[in-house]
Amino acid sequence: MNSNRLAASLGAAFVLTASVSTAALAQAPVCSAPVKVLAQPRDGLTLLEDSKDEFKKLSGAGFQIDYLNENDRRAKSRADASTVGNYNVYYVDEANVALFASSGWIVPLTDYYPADYDYADFDPGRQKVATYDGKVWFAPLTGGGDLMVYRKDVLEAAGIQPPKTLDELIADVPKLTNADKGMYGIALRGARGSGANVWRWMPFFKAYGGKWFDGDKPAFNSDAAVKATETYLKLFKDSAPGTQTGSWDESTGAFLSGQVAILVESTPLSGMAVDPKTSQVVGKVGFLPPPSPLPGGGYGHGLAIGTKANADDAAKKCAGLFIAWATSKENEKRRLDAHQFGELNRTSILSSKEFADIYGADLGQALAETGKVTAVNFWQDPRWPDLGDRWGIILEELVTGTRTDIKGGLNELEAYANELVKKK
Amino acid sequence: MRRRSSLPVTFLVPTLAILLVLSMVPTLYAVVIALQSRELSTTGYSWVWFSNFADLFADRRFLNAVWVSVKWEIVTVVATMVAAIGLGVLMFEVAGPRLRNFYCLLFIIPVLLPRVSAAFVWKFAYHPLYGIATYPYRLLTGGLIFDPLSKPGTALFAVASVDVWQWGLFFAVIVLKLLETLPPQPIEAARLDHARRWQIHAYVTLPMLKAPLISLMFVKMIESLRSFDLIYVMTRGGPGVATETLDMYAFSQGFIESGKVSYASAMAVLMMIATVITFTMLWKRVQA
Repeated sequence: MNSNRLAASLGAAFVLTASVSTAALAQAPVCSAPVKVLAQPRDGLTLLEDSKDEFKKLSGAGFQIDYLNENDRRAKSRADASTVGNYNVYYVDEANVALFASSGWIVPLTDYYPADYDYADFDPGRQKVATYDGKVWFAPLTGGGDLMVYRKDVLEAAGIQPPKTLDELIADVPKLTNADKGMYGIALRGARGSGANVWRWMPFFKAYGGKWFDGDKPAFNSDAAVKATETYLKLFKDSAPGTQTGSWDESTGAFLSGQVAILVESTPLSGMAVDPKTSQVVGKVGFLPPPSPLPGGGYGHGLAIGTKANADDAAKKCAGLFIAWATSKENEKRRLDAHQFGELNRTSILSSKEFADIYGADLGQALAETGKVTAVNFWQDPRWPDLGDRWGIILEELVTGTRTDIKGGLNELEAYANELVKKK
Repeated sequence: MRRRSSLPVTFLVPTLAILLVLSMVPTLYAVVIALQSRELSTTGYSWVWFSNFADLFADRRFLNAVWVSVKWEIVTVVATMVAAIGLGVLMFEVAGPRLRNFYCLLFIIPVLLPRVSAAFVWKFAYHPLYGIATYPYRLLTGGLIFDPLSKPGTALFAVASVDVWQWGLFFAVIVLKLLETLPPQPIEAARLDHARRWQIHAYVTLPMLKAPLISLMFVKMIESLRSFDLIYVMTRGGPGVATETLDMYAFSQGFIESGKVSYASAMAVLMMIATVITFTMLWKRVQA
């Protein structure tokens, strides 16, 4: 009897211990230290900070995001990831994902991205940009292509139909400029950088048939590049003041404050243009795909797991959980509720009734149309930022008039590209 | 016979040793990596010895950066000293003690602002459409646009004006305080000889202040070499390469564009050698 009791007691104790251990294991915090993130300012990330407690409850630790503007973020993340590795999570983009991945500064995301968070729900175009060498490296925070956003009232007053072709755009822009009244035909990006002036120049280059490389041989020093640059410089004569050395902030700022008639820019602008909090031209704006044959500049920014700061698998899982949570459907729904158009990336959200109710059918249709002409315009290679930034300097010199020889600039870039190829 | 105390050595040696380590280790490391081919994107490297230095002299942006740095140094140092002496003398001549104190307080404020904050404030002030600094031009020309930071001919001077705004005003306070410490007799003697006010300063007070003014100039010369943050925020070296100084270009090569840390270090080493030689020569010339 006693031995039966003892056996039963031992059995009960074993079961109890096993259950407690299982429960403890199930509830063991995934993160043992706060997740450090290096990012650039995004409304979506600011909103995310309001839900810090939710992540702490989920993971057992909080997070800290350090913000730097786009160019500084690129420089700092490159310096940090290649040396000390202070950050668990890096904000990467289409321009530097190849470099970060091939240098081993980030790890493949899907190895540490919990399946419950449904990576496949992200817009397929953005998944494509996040993929390099057959592996997925980041979860998108923003992305898309280009849209032509125009002032319906200004074009109507000038008796001009929204341009459908590049030739029409080139002809219309000077007619829409009325500097005395503070109105400019267009706004472009003049500031140096593969993601700045070069980004806006590339659709012209592609539209005229340009290509970056033929195998390992630079192929960009062509008539297409000369013509694209001439067109870019011609349009710049009617670009809003401040854009000659400005980038996204300056050109979209000029449009949203009512100084620009037509702007071909990345898709988040369209959400900003219909938001009274950011736009002074609400109700006066129309949307169309970029004038043909300009391709849209396909892009995507997102969060990736750093290699050095996450020395073991547990740390990588923690970083993966943070990224999954930050880009989850729940958080994306919060961004939709906050009318953060540019922060939406999931198909389930973009095709939802709530999205259509907020942004209207016109914008939805324009987005669908522009998706058809969105392309990857840059050279998908780790050396792209190096080459793109070099062209950015030369292009800025051309825009601001410190040099005038387009062909000379392209020759200089070609010599540099040959050096890059040799070093591979 | 007095015994020599070991106390000074005991106090000095650890401090000097720390200073030596802190200054020499990074310097030697910079020299070593300047002789290698290190890049941020790869872990491998080789010894290329003086190849980075040779490449620099064939690099048009490096040669431009040298010229821009020389221009920047001359413009900021001369303008700061002229503004400091001019304002210092003016306050000494026209303001009473209370007003001088008020001006001193006012003139010290700009230098207390962090460089980056000052740069952002002035970047906005120079905005062609909304800037307060460009407003008079718009007003006088009936709304014409002037964008000083995007014009190659004006960008360097626009950024230099911020440097002078910070340091020129601060140095004016120092010049005023120096003038106040001078003995009154030589000035009284000059007045009795019917010297005009400008003559008193040109031939009496400023020559008496030659040594501290030269020290101030050297301080400004060293400070002007470290204007990276100001230029980076206001123009990032642009338009084109019009304001790209050596430190800006070295940072750009090391961390923004190519990740060529060895190439950037070679620039830093050259800059250090040029600075040491130039300052030694100037110092000896001034002392002679």
